[in-house]
Amino acid sequence: MTMNLRNWTVSLLLTSVVTTLMANLIGNDVSIAESIPGVLSLSAIAFVGIALGKLIPLKIPPIVYVVLTGMVVASPISPIAQPIIDSTAKISFMAPITIVGTLAGIGLDFKSFISQSWKMVIVAILVFTGTFLIQATFAEIFLNVTNAFD
Amino acid sequence: MESTAQPRQSIWGNLKDNYRLYLAAFIIVTIAEFIGVKTFHVGSALIVLYPMLFAIVISVLLGRDILRFFTKKEAKKASSLVLVVITPFMAKVGVLAGANLPELVNVGPALAFQELGHVGTILLALPVALLLGVKKEAIGATSSTCRDKDYGLICHLYGSDSPEARGALSIYIIGFLIGTVYIGFLASIVASLNFFHPLALAMACGIGSGVMMAAASGTLAAIYPDYADQIIMLAGASDMLAAIVGIYFTLFISLPITKKLYYFLEPKLSRGNSRHGNTKKLKGDV
Repeated sequence: MTMNLRNWTVSLLLTSVVTTLMANLIGNDVSIAESIPGVLSLSAIAFVGIALGKLIPLKIPPIVYVVLTGMVVASPISPIAQPIIDSTAKISFMAPITIVGTLAGIGLDFKSFISQSWKMVIVAILVFTGTFLIQATFAEIFLNVTNAFD
Repeated sequence: MESTAQPRQSIWGNLKDNYRLYLAAFIIVTIAEFIGVKTFHVGSALIVLYPMLFAIVISVLLGRDILRFFTKKEAKKASSLVLVVITPFMAKVGVLAGANLPELVNVGPALAFQELGHVGTILLALPVALLLGVKKEAIGATSSTCRDKDYGLICHLYGSDSPEARGALSIYIIGFLIGTVYIGFLASIVASLNFFHPLALAMACGIGSGVMMAAASGTLAAIYPDYADQIIMLAGASDMLAAIVGIYFTLFISLPITKKLYYFLEPKLSRGNSRHGNTKKLKGDV
């Protein structure tokens, strides 16, 4: 994270905030006015998480602090849990992700992508297939053994 | 400490430098959302295409290598913004986790246990890589899913010019474009087998990349609407765990296993030494 928090906030407002409002309107039929509290709640949680990441000198990805902040403010111990849960429930979980795909796509180094050998493409597919299947298997076994589904 | 290392950019400067990027991104998102969610059946599998995927396709086409609408500087800026714009989604994941905390605690041990499933990157990919004639690149490529931090680790251990790092970089680059699309398909197909519980599949979505986790768990949520919130919550928790322990897992568990297996299998599976270093060296700035 090589950005100061002020610029971080401006960038977030001009990208994620406006596009999530738009995505929730077009893709999810929720009016912009209705989406605003949820989008602002999520952005505020993100801001606090990133700020914590800057303050705490541990080598943990800043994203983790964002998830943890969201978890704490929405947990039963939080006095603002209910308004946070209600307002963010209006935001479809895929609405904030379209802009992520957009920016990642713009930033992609397509030249190095097509210069990859077909062999590495096969290897890549097997890497993802393997981790998905083995993780699912382990989870399935553990959940069955401990009956955690009941 | 960063603010001393680089000149502080004013808000106005940020706007002036990037207005084209912000505006174009807004338009691309709008178009992608108008295309909307497309679902179709392939056999018994339900394939779900999200606006995110259309957005990736449109923006790659407009990118600096094909239609060249964006400048190199804008592409760089866009890359750095990915980490910014993914935070609201991660906040949403956190809120879902907090709202369902008792359930999360309930499945906590299962989540921790299935993290060991990350050794799955090696099991299929390493033998096939060797059969295809890939050499030491295979060690970097298959020891993890090669997301940012894993690639960083491999570079740190072997040097960024090493075959191991080239292999990891290949998977990093390919993973972004193909991996995001593929993992959604994979989740659909595996779900259609009806072999795994939806929540077990949800935990498997924690691959160490937020975008891939979103693609996989979004697909699963569309297939199992009754479990939608739990799926997103568990996938997010699994991904978060992968982000925290991932690098240590690669360093202490999966990389040593990969190396052992490589030196064990390489003489048996590899076809001679004529194919040494077959992946091209990259000069890209990913």
